[in-house]
Amino acid sequence: MSRSIERQLHLIDFTVGSILRRKGKNGALLLVYTLVIFVLASVLFFTRSLRTEVAAVLKNSPDIIVQRTLTGRYQFIPVRYADSLRSIRGIASIAPRLWGYYYDGGFGANYTLMVPTIDTVQSGTIDIGSGIAKLRKIGIGDIVPLIGYDGNPQTFTVAHILADESALVSADLILMSEADYRVFSRIPEGYATDLILTARNPREFPTIAEKITRLLPDTRPIVKNEILRTYDAVFSWRAGIIMLLFTVVILAFFIFSFDKATGLSAEERKEIGILKAIGWETGDVLAMKFWEGIAISLVAFFLGAIIAYAHVFFGGGFLFAPILKGWSTLYPSFTLAAHVNAGDLFALFFLSVVPYTIATIAPAWRVAVIDPDAVMR
Amino acid sequence: MRRSTFMIGTGVVLAAIALLLLVNAGVGAERATIADARTGSLVATLGLTDLALFTEASYTRHPSLTDLNTPFQDSPLSFEHFPTGSLMQPPASLVHPHVAKY
Amino acid sequence: MIDIRNVSKVFNTGRPNEFTAIAGISLHLSLQETTVLKGPSGSGKTTLLSLIGCMTRPTSGRIFIDNREITSLPERFLTGIRRTTFGFIFQRFNLLRGFTALENVMAPALPEGEKYAPLKKRAIDILGMLDLDHRYDAKAEWLSGGEAQRVAIARALINNPSIIIADEPTAHLDGKLSGEFLSIMEILKGEGKTIIIASHDPLVYESTLADRIVEIRHGEIGGDGALP
Repeated sequence: MSRSIERQLHLIDFTVGSILRRKGKNGALLLVYTLVIFVLASVLFFTRSLRTEVAAVLKNSPDIIVQRTLTGRYQFIPVRYADSLRSIRGIASIAPRLWGYYYDGGFGANYTLMVPTIDTVQSGTIDIGSGIAKLRKIGIGDIVPLIGYDGNPQTFTVAHILADESALVSADLILMSEADYRVFSRIPEGYATDLILTARNPREFPTIAEKITRLLPDTRPIVKNEILRTYDAVFSWRAGIIMLLFTVVILAFFIFSFDKATGLSAEERKEIGILKAIGWETGDVLAMKFWEGIAISLVAFFLGAIIAYAHVFFGGGFLFAPILKGWSTLYPSFTLAAHVNAGDLFALFFLSVVPYTIATIAPAWRVAVIDPDAVMR
Repeated sequence: MRRSTFMIGTGVVLAAIALLLLVNAGVGAERATIADARTGSLVATLGLTDLALFTEASYTRHPSLTDLNTPFQDSPLSFEHFPTGSLMQPPASLVHPHVAKY
Repeated sequence: MIDIRNVSKVFNTGRPNEFTAIAGISLHLSLQETTVLKGPSGSGKTTLLSLIGCMTRPTSGRIFIDNREITSLPERFLTGIRRTTFGFIFQRFNLLRGFTALENVMAPALPEGEKYAPLKKRAIDILGMLDLDHRYDAKAEWLSGGEAQRVAIARALINNPSIIIADEPTAHLDGKLSGEFLSIMEILKGEGKTIIIASHDPLVYESTLADRIVEIRHGEIGGDGALP
């Protein structure tokens, strides 16, 4: 038993020596491999974590949102529409919601203005999201001019700044009182942006939604799990760019492994012959090749995954920020909690370590079984 | 030091770091749940429906609530916002609208 | 006693380039003797060495070493026997490039699973015996001709084999190095090792080292003379 272990240790000695003979080539190989794993693992960690957090947070969204449409486009909804809906069985509450967009020309940023119904805001003041506070460098007590829809500026005093930890959902929010918002936006009394509903039984949502469209044909209900599905699709594997990235990288990896697998150089063949001639069995040669594959791929895998973890969970995935930020000037700062999915990691492991190790052993197989006699010539 | 010792040692060290990070993940997940709860209550009180992740246009900011043809409403000549527009798929509510069945 | 009974070796059977290297050779070689296989290149000496050294199986015939038939053994046992019974010195040394002299010497012993420290010590001792221990750390490609020759010999000795096989060992050496080689072989012979050398170099077959010369021509034995 200890002889078998010692034998493998000897083979590993030999393998490491063999790898170190070509420091440059093998170093570059390790670097590229690690980089590939780093990119893939970063994407996996980032998207998985974001999905988990989004699901946890948005499950508190309203059960059903009712929008009004006119000629297929969004329109304000009369608040009295709520009365027609109260008769629907299963609805626990209905409330109007007032919100809208605001474009801040000076900073090239879009904000979302909202009127909270619980914890209302005092007239003349606003609560702002942490993203706006950082962008405009303003704090509590500062006076902010906003240009109303009549073109005239109105000033508001900042009363609160929304918690930074909620930046992912609130970075661009400005909360104001209803009276202020109606003056500001000129949404007339009796109208709201949409209605939000809570219902008792989630399984009845679609039925309720259908009833709403029947009672109010010019409305469009949106149900909560549709909201969640929208975001799940963005961050799941199927999302366009992520899938493309994955496919390209995995493909490149397979091409590389295939190239490696299709043949040994004459020198490598001769060496295997020498090893066999001096007394190595076929099994020893293949074991050595196995260690060679494992040495590089395991190190690359662990190194790439560890650096990816640090990048995403300690560094906030900063390399992805430009892609996610796009054209927006206001980007929420968020630290992702480390949700690591074992399935993701296993998939990455099997798609990288296994093909690479096979690619290292396979070409040696044919040579390793030849009679060592050939090397005598 | 013998080469195999170095190699196996490296492997063990890397695996140990990976394990530590996984433990860290477990610990972090608990902290996250608390933060998520606070954010969740903000979502509930304000009735929020979308993340403030893509603020460049209305249809990227509230993709759940957007109209079918909103991408072009910024102006007749406006282009789609890339890469955000490519990252988002049309919301389920538009793909499968709730229609009254008669 | 190495007993070779009616052994043939045909390469590429059935193909257009079919080639009979050895046609029906029978031979008895005594242990602890030095035998020289003499013959021109292409005569089949190398093939015969391969067969004796369990590097390949004969197409027909049987080979016995110490009354034990090796021709029918499965590869694993055959390799194990070869590793511990034989030490090979190749024509072009065939050292592993990029590895040190020490690593080259230790290489044949790695599959035995011996503990590292004693193995390393034994390897350095053998190099010391050949006045090469100060070069144990030198990479194989940096060794001089004579040094490479001695490393090749040391490698052949690491598993303490009873039979040394050398294929044209002096073919690429000058007179001085050839002489050195023969002196080392004399020492090994003195230790009781069996030596089989294939060579068409008169320096080898006319030396005092050779107990017996077997002439091989076209895959068959020509003359077989034991020297007085």
